[in-house]
Amino acid sequence: MIKTVDLKKTFTGRGQTVYAVDGVTSHIKPSEVVVVIGPSGSGKSTYLRCLNGLETLTSGQIIIDGVDLSAKKTDHNLVRREVGMVFQQFNLFPHKSVLENILLAQQVVRKRKREEAEEKARMLLQKVGIPEKENEYPIRLSGGQQQRVAIARALAMDPKVMLFDEPTSALDPEMVGEVLEVMKQLAREGMTMVVVTHEMGFAREVADRVLFMDQGKLVEEGTPEHFFTSPQEERTKLFLRQVL
Amino acid sequence: MNSQKNSLLWHALTVFILFMMGAGLWIATKKIDYTWRWNRVPQYFFYQQETLVPAPFDARVASISKNGNETHIKLAGENGEDETYIVDTETLKVSENEDLFEGDYLGATFEWNAGPLMWGLWTTLWLSATASVLGLIIGLVTGLCRVSQNLTLRSLSITYIELIRGTPLLVQLFIFYFFLGTVLDISRIVAGISALAIFAGAYVAEIIRAGIQSIPKGQMEAARSLGMNVPQAMIHIILPQAFKRTLPPLAGQFISLIKDSSLVSVIAITDLTKSGREVITSTFATFEIWFVVAFLYLMLTSVLSQVISWVERRLSVSD
Repeated sequence: MIKTVDLKKTFTGRGQTVYAVDGVTSHIKPSEVVVVIGPSGSGKSTYLRCLNGLETLTSGQIIIDGVDLSAKKTDHNLVRREVGMVFQQFNLFPHKSVLENILLAQQVVRKRKREEAEEKARMLLQKVGIPEKENEYPIRLSGGQQQRVAIARALAMDPKVMLFDEPTSALDPEMVGEVLEVMKQLAREGMTMVVVTHEMGFAREVADRVLFMDQGKLVEEGTPEHFFTSPQEERTKLFLRQVL
Repeated sequence: MNSQKNSLLWHALTVFILFMMGAGLWIATKKIDYTWRWNRVPQYFFYQQETLVPAPFDARVASISKNGNETHIKLAGENGEDETYIVDTETLKVSENEDLFEGDYLGATFEWNAGPLMWGLWTTLWLSATASVLGLIIGLVTGLCRVSQNLTLRSLSITYIELIRGTPLLVQLFIFYFFLGTVLDISRIVAGISALAIFAGAYVAEIIRAGIQSIPKGQMEAARSLGMNVPQAMIHIILPQAFKRTLPPLAGQFISLIKDSSLVSVIAITDLTKSGREVITSTFATFEIWFVVAFLYLMLTSVLSQVISWVERRLSVSD
């Protein structure tokens, strides 16, 4: 579904070049839930953002559903509509109501009729458990509710893959559960998901595979069982000792 | 309760100070040799024009019927013509069965006409409105160029902004009128409006740029991640939010534009300021007219700022 080959992304500032992502080769299969973990600054978010072209690669290759995202002639917009993304800071459109947030891209990008888009939006609001909030503006919603709207907004585009960039990190602890519950449901339905998170419980319970990144490199990967019970790399062991 | 009582006291002090300043001014004008003639001012807003009504042919007055202020006069011509004319009752000059020659006056009609101050106000209003709309368009386009990825667009917009903001509007007006007006053969009105629009556009561009850059990066990223291209994201996501944030500084800019439009009087456009000057030459009521002109500008600007704060309130439903 998503293949990356020797993915590299550098940032240059003050004459220094920093490798945020340093040669990551990975393969995410359809219906797979992959959780990416690692310490802050390990490049896991940058890796994720490369997957839908929000960051331009320095070198390497990304192939999404057979389309080479790294090729110059590829229209990133066509790829992006197949790849949903959920952000740490929700990034809902504050000037639009909940319903309009979910309608907009359907109408503008997918060119759906208003009725069709509304039906879809209401169905998704039902699914994420807040059908009664459709006319509220995002600012009046709790963090957990906002993030669930953001998930519904991404799902409305019928994406083939969903990317989650630390979806619960900006939430109050009591709201983490409601968002994770929606994500678990998605995973059960067979959605292909790549999740950057610090929620080890979620990784253990839902992930098919865990990737551990440090300093831009993919240090270790494996099933949650393998990863949490018998990690091979010293760096992984150190990290797990600190977070568990 | 206490603070309310206090604020009342401060308001009283404010009123007192303003009153003292007014009184001071009044005493000062008493000391100079100036006769205030406020009664001469209204006629320069509206005046009644008298139009004499002549008989169109040799005729006899067949009948006169008074109807309040209006009087209907029925004329019967020698060749069987039969027509009715209306004059103001007080000006009636003929009586029934009187024989008239062609050109004799039947009376007069009065009509309210707008005076020079009204025309000047109107000119200032539409001049500023046109320049504002054009300035907004120019500023929007330039502001978008300013944040564009394209280096040429960025450099061009910066050059334009620096050029305009670094020179006085008065000088720009002269260049537009004398240089561009001659080279491109454009009228003084077009020259005046373009100079104002291009001047305002440079400031609007910077306001728009700041507005766009004040929108969190996540908004653009969210829009892009949903598959929107940059123009779609700009139109649906970034600009509506930027517009809301830039409304107060934009309002300030357009209020400035109304005031700056008084400079077009130097290229002989009869706006409010120039009308004021013209009225002064015929009345010598210098003090009164300038106060009136200032008051009229104040009216325009405060109406605009009321309208904009109303729009602001309407847009704040999502806050």
